[in-house]
Amino acid sequence: MIRVRNLVKRYGGIRVVDGVGFDVAEGEVFGLLGPNGAGKTTTMEMIEGLRKPDSGEIQLFGVDGVREPDKMKEMIGVQLQSTALFDHLTAEESILLYGSFYRQMRPVDELLKAFDLEEKRKTLVKHLSGGQRQRLAIALAVVHDPRVIFLDEPTTGLDPKARRDLWRIILTLKDEGRTIFLSTHYMEEAEQLCDRVAIMNAGQVIDLDSPSGLIRQLASDSVIEFALEKKAMEVSLRQLRGVKEVRQDEGLILLLTNDLRGTLSELIRTADQEELALSGLRTRTATLEDVFLERTGKRLTEK
Amino acid sequence: MKAYWRLTWAQLLLFARNKNTIIWSLLLPIFMMLALGTFLGDGTGTDQFQLNVTVADEDDTSYSRNLVKELSKTGGLNVSETSRASGLAQVKQGNAEVFVLLKKGMGKRLSTEGKAGKSEPLVELYLDQSNPAVAEIGSTVIREEVDRFNKEAVNYQPPVETKLVNIQTRPLGYIDFLVPGILSLMILSNNLNGVAATIASWRERGILRRMQGTPLKSSTFIAGQITARVLLNGLQAVTVLLVGYFVFDVHVYGSWMLLLMFILLGTLTFMSIGFIIASLARTPESASPIAGLVTFPMIFVGGIFFPVRDLPGLLQPLVKAIPIGYLTDALRGVMNEGATLPQLWVPATVLGAWLLISFTIATLTFRWDVK
Repeated sequence: MIRVRNLVKRYGGIRVVDGVGFDVAEGEVFGLLGPNGAGKTTTMEMIEGLRKPDSGEIQLFGVDGVREPDKMKEMIGVQLQSTALFDHLTAEESILLYGSFYRQMRPVDELLKAFDLEEKRKTLVKHLSGGQRQRLAIALAVVHDPRVIFLDEPTTGLDPKARRDLWRIILTLKDEGRTIFLSTHYMEEAEQLCDRVAIMNAGQVIDLDSPSGLIRQLASDSVIEFALEKKAMEVSLRQLRGVKEVRQDEGLILLLTNDLRGTLSELIRTADQEELALSGLRTRTATLEDVFLERTGKRLTEK
Repeated sequence: MKAYWRLTWAQLLLFARNKNTIIWSLLLPIFMMLALGTFLGDGTGTDQFQLNVTVADEDDTSYSRNLVKELSKTGGLNVSETSRASGLAQVKQGNAEVFVLLKKGMGKRLSTEGKAGKSEPLVELYLDQSNPAVAEIGSTVIREEVDRFNKEAVNYQPPVETKLVNIQTRPLGYIDFLVPGILSLMILSNNLNGVAATIASWRERGILRRMQGTPLKSSTFIAGQITARVLLNGLQAVTVLLVGYFVFDVHVYGSWMLLLMFILLGTLTFMSIGFIIASLARTPESASPIAGLVTFPMIFVGGIFFPVRDLPGLLQPLVKAIPIGYLTDALRGVMNEGATLPQLWVPATVLGAWLLISFTIATLTFRWDVK
């Protein structure tokens, strides 16, 4: 339904997007996951018709997005990274304004209700909270009842509650049968929302699968984290049962393992023998963050 | 069409809710008019000229007293009687423009119907020649008055009568000159600076890019902006004109339709230039200074506060090249002189040409996104 092939965009000789290609199926939530500067926004904006690719092809429902951007814009809804709203218009006025740009528009009441903004109908945008603004931005993206919605980092800068509210709304949009294309640099968001995730780094898609599929591809599915006073144990750590990799990250030691039970019991026994204190010991299952770390050697979000 | 009306309406709402817009674009011109009109003009606009005259009547006869009385009745003269020394001092200090000394013997000379023959002058005028215009008018007015006395004394019947025809039927003062200038300034700054700053900041904040993500055409967006701003400017212009009329008695002697046409022409021209500046500026921070750089000289050479002919010759080619002077001239022509379109074909043509060129460049350079 969305078909992207060999998309390239250069800025000042640098390939910001470097041969990106994928297909998005109807009704799925498709995520572009990557750190800031990976080329997610540029990729999205080319598909949305906001930027012209240097080369490559884009098709939406069989419409050539590069040659007929206007025809395509009628079918898609967009929310941009910066919440670009008029501060001095009310929520209702904003919806009426953006609705007027399309051939058809959903009733204002229905939209306000769906996005939990009924009480804010007459409130100026500048007096809305971050979460309310973002809900309004998404309401504007679906004002014409589009089949595809593009959400560029929809929850960036929101507090955890507002973020979860927004996730609920995005899943509702999915239930309505819409296709959602979103970008994020939160791996948790990608895991929670996305049916499939394309991992982007340095302008390229380095992997594409469902979140669980991506994690399953990892050599190790669990992580043991702890801090040690001495690093002398490092060599023996690698010999523990099931350990695939030992990493050091900001004073923590990370053991990547595919046998959590075995590694953990051997680790504790070894620590007892060598009379070493393991502080802050915890275990977790591998996440997309670990996938990204394994593929690129970089963290998804800088701490 | 729906989008056009919505955009126009939204822009009008934004104007109404942005208090700065209202204050700066409407109160400032009115304040300027009140301040300059009250301090520089004299408020009423009718008695445009007042000459302070001091008179020392050393003759003190019925004739001399009569002359003083006649002078006092003469329009434009503010006569006060004093001594010779104080009268002279007042002229020297600049408190009075003219000092008239009526010497002893004047009454006697007049009563003898001038038959005593020529001798030394009996009326002396003291003027500050450093202000030639005042000196000229002062001496003419008083000479005429004395001349009339002389003629009466000898029962003089002039063989050729001169009839005075007043060609300036409208009493015009500085305020009448000022109001069209302020109107012109308002149109310039509201549109050129207003559009440049607004559009550049919308572009920076991604508002334009968001609209680009919809099927909205840039021409529809621009049309909405133009309509809203034309309406706002029309409203502001009418407000300024009404304040001018009710507070300062400034009339529009020409056609209102023609006046509104020139206001429209000016609005569209400066708005187009504003769009060009917004497109050329790399950041919104640079759009306002660029707009200021363009506007600032225009305020000085545009004939807004003083006539263009007072400017040094060096600047005259510049004045002829830029649109503001033509707009000011046209507004002044319609308001002060009741000029008609055929009489104002030069400013109309020049403004029209500016509009055509700048609008074309504006549409060609318009872009939704940041470079």
